[in-house]
Amino acid sequence: MRILLIICLMLAITPLFAAPTVNIVIRHHLFYPSTVEIPVDTKVKLLIDNQDQTAEEFESYELNREKVIPGHSKGVVFIGPLPAGEYPFFGEFFPKTAQGKVIVK
Amino acid sequence: MLINSVIIILREVFEAALIVSVLLVLCQKLQLPRRYFLSSLGLGGVLSIFYARHIASISMFFDGVGQEILNACMHLMTFICLLFLIFSMGRRPYYKITVWAIAGCLSATLVGEGSEIIIYIQGFIGNEQLLETVLAGSFIGAGVGFSVGVFMYYLMINLRPRKGIAVSLVALVLISASMTTQAFQLLIQADILISQAPLWNTSSWVSEGSVIGQILYALLGYESTPTPIQVGGYFLSLILASALAVRTFNTFKWEKGE
Repeated sequence: MRILLIICLMLAITPLFAAPTVNIVIRHHLFYPSTVEIPVDTKVKLLIDNQDQTAEEFESYELNREKVIPGHSKGVVFIGPLPAGEYPFFGEFFPKTAQGKVIVK
Repeated sequence: MLINSVIIILREVFEAALIVSVLLVLCQKLQLPRRYFLSSLGLGGVLSIFYARHIASISMFFDGVGQEILNACMHLMTFICLLFLIFSMGRRPYYKITVWAIAGCLSATLVGEGSEIIIYIQGFIGNEQLLETVLAGSFIGAGVGFSVGVFMYYLMINLRPRKGIAVSLVALVLISASMTTQAFQLLIQADILISQAPLWNTSSWVSEGSVIGQILYALLGYESTPTPIQVGGYFLSLILASALAVRTFNTFKWEKGE
């Protein structure tokens, strides 16, 4: 019951404004662009388009995000609001090549 | 690619093996018929294939966060099932609740971990050269993860009943708290719960990417930068599940001599 109440409260205070969208493409197990710049203290929607046949898992320990994106499909990940800094992300299924970072400034 | 496949599959199988081994031990200790356990495993397997096949369209539900919402629901369902299990175990009138709670936990765990394995492997179908390596790595990873589960099972099943139930209850309490924090994390990622600054950062001590970090994640739901919502959810679940566990342990009907 308590958890339900907390969830309802959090839902009520979730901002209603649409977040700006940043498009990222996964092709040949690489992120394009591999560096994404976003403003400080702003929530951003990452729209990740996996154009490979293989699935990829967008992962970032620094951003606290993890999402599986099957081949030839898209995925949405919300990040921020964040303080200034660099936040690396990688593709867990192809970590040697799929590397990128979000620069917040 | 081989090493990467081993790590990916090992991580998924390890997480599932921990939960499955605890539940299997409970089935034995509580003398529940094995057919319920096996049918739940079967149901979880079928649902994970269905989820993996439709994940692309499920992901695009709710403006692109369908995957997070469904996964969060599965984690919350597991949490609720665990609470029911902790409450009902060993009480004859609540026998059916115990059986359904174990079935719910098992199925949800298998869907979550199994679907990711299927999604990973099915992407390589059509690329024979890579598929061979990926399958080899997956078998090694699954074998190691499965061995850990077997080890955990025999470690717990050979404990004296009182100790065995106590260890199982502690494991269930920790898993339930971990489920809540993971569900909250997914709802934050989906922009349903508000995103907050982390309460602390322990990444310089234990990185989430390290082996210890991965083991702690599977055992305790470890996050190096948890937000206040996650920490609050974790401790609330821990308190609630612990209170139920203590009550169950104190009122458990032990065999004579235990």
